Amino acid sequence: MLCLAGYSLYKTYTDIGQEIRVLQGTNLEVECGDFVCITGKSGCGKSTLLHILGLLDEPDSGKILIKGQEVSTHHPQANQIRNQQIGFVFQFHYLIDDLNARENVVLPRLIAGTNKSIAYQKADELLNLMELSDRALHYPNQLSGGEQQRLALARALINNPHIVLADEPTGNLDPQHSAEIWNLFQNLNRELGQTFVIVTHDPELAKLAHKSYELKDGKLF
Amino acid sequence: MNPAEKLFLERYIQSPKRHLWRFSFLFMVLGIVISVGILSTALNLFEGYERALKSVLLDSFAHIRIENINGELLPDTLISLTLQKLNSKPEIDSAIPLLTTNLMASNGEKARGTVFNAYDTTSVHMGNYAKYVKEGTAQLVQGNIIVGHYLAKELGLSLGDTLNVFYPRLDFITPLGMHPVETPLIITGIYHSGFYEYDRTLIIGTLQDARMLSGANDGFSCIEIRLKNKFADDINLYAEKYNKMLNNDLVALPTTNTTLLRLVKMQKWLIFIVFFFLVLISGINIISGISTQIYDKKNEIAVLKALGAPKSTIRNILGYQVILLCLISIILGLILGFIASWVIVHQNIYQLKGDVYFIDKLALYVAPFNQILIFILASTLVILCVQIPLRRIDKMQVIDLLRNP
Repeated sequence: MLCLAGYSLYKTYTDIGQEIRVLQGTNLEVECGDFVCITGKSGCGKSTLLHILGLLDEPDSGKILIKGQEVSTHHPQANQIRNQQIGFVFQFHYLIDDLNARENVVLPRLIAGTNKSIAYQKADELLNLMELSDRALHYPNQLSGGEQQRLALARALINNPHIVLADEPTGNLDPQHSAEIWNLFQNLNRELGQTFVIVTHDPELAKLAHKSYELKDGKLF
Repeated sequence: MNPAEKLFLERYIQSPKRHLWRFSFLFMVLGIVISVGILSTALNLFEGYERALKSVLLDSFAHIRIENINGELLPDTLISLTLQKLNSKPEIDSAIPLLTTNLMASNGEKARGTVFNAYDTTSVHMGNYAKYVKEGTAQLVQGNIIVGHYLAKELGLSLGDTLNVFYPRLDFITPLGMHPVETPLIITGIYHSGFYEYDRTLIIGTLQDARMLSGANDGFSCIEIRLKNKFADDINLYAEKYNKMLNNDLVALPTTNTTLLRLVKMQKWLIFIVFFFLVLISGINIISGISTQIYDKKNEIAVLKALGAPKSTIRNILGYQVILLCLISIILGLILGFIASWVIVHQNIYQLKGDVYFIDKLALYVAPFNQILIFILASTLVILCVQIPLRRIDKMQVIDLLRNP
């Protein structure tokens, strides 16, 4: 079953008066349970594609479907879709400094309006899964880069999303922590059937995915 | 309140230090505390002044005077008849005949123009002045007087001293002109009414002395009426009512300056409006403080948007923290206002000038209505000022924030 699909996606930026065509009719289909990697040169539009698929950015044209339902940033339930059907992991993790690890994880669940005790129970399970239980009350600046990224992954998973979109999740990590995160993604995909679309500039890591695409001249190959 | 909004607010309350000492917030808080403090101080002092003045004006002496329309003395028979009519009025506390005359008073070196109020101490009870006699006795016998403390001070007199009073009588004409009648009177009481004009000019004495000075064998200048406290706000109304009831030769005149009281009340609210502009200016500080906060927190805003938080939730997360901080600042401002007005009232550096402000002592009164009014208006202003910059959040594009962290 198709979990996420993007058809005929076009996106053009204007930078200092010059038009940059990053997506030129890009198509992508992701089956539920897939582990998909998108590679490409720096600035080729990988992140843009991911942001468009995750309803964070709007394409100039084209359509996006999540579980067969057409969605866009203007969809009346766009916030709810971002909150409950999509999980994000960013390169710079973007954890909230004023909240501790447990509160950072539970946040999307609380935004969804879930009962506090149920939400924290789920957060504790995920912290356990990410081997961060002993760091639950630590603040992001008290955690290592690898721990911060695992925390961001736990946050992305808390609402049981259909798909997790990760933008260069290991781009800021040393090789050891990078390998840890990739193992985690693979385990989650294998054991829980979690769907992933991961953008990376590292072709070696992309080889570990079920499907790997290269974004070139605005299209996926 | 959404559970996420609640989480941020709880976090803010539990560890406010990290937020409180942000530079922009510090000025925001100071702005509110100082402006609300000034507004509260002004209102506490003006409320105190208004109440003190009203109390002195209504409490010290008569509220209404019934006089002869052509200014002549009222004969004893007319006084008795009028008093009979007035006795049945439930609003009247006391109605006392009074002989009043203007005199010169001298200690031998200095002289002052005074008003001599004389009561018939043998047949009626004492006037209300008795409770203001703070030194000596309020009981009057012929040859004794009670004077205001300012008059005593200006003429260097104290209890037991003699004050010479002069009355220019038309029936004492000499080849050198009008010859005043001179009488030495002994000061047996000194009163402090708190109303400067009374304390500086009024002498209270016996009817016998007044008649001896003026040469009148009978009659009174007027009947002084004091209303009961609960009717004291309607002096003009009762004066009008008595005018309709009285003989055509008589007129009832309100003696308490109700216009002055209305003026002071109006002045209090004018001051309130002027000082509320300070709170408005502190509102600009709030807008500026939140704008800085939004800039500082743009990554957080981006994450919240990416996590699917609705605009209202993001606005509330930031807004509730600022509103809470501002409400605490308003309460601190009210406390500061109370402390500042207490210090002003109890300091000795500046004293109120009685000849300008009618009373010579600053007074403090913390009226709950005023405090609630300041709190409600300042809170409303704060809430409005918080909403203005928060609307910017709606226009912020998550992708711009993520691309330019």
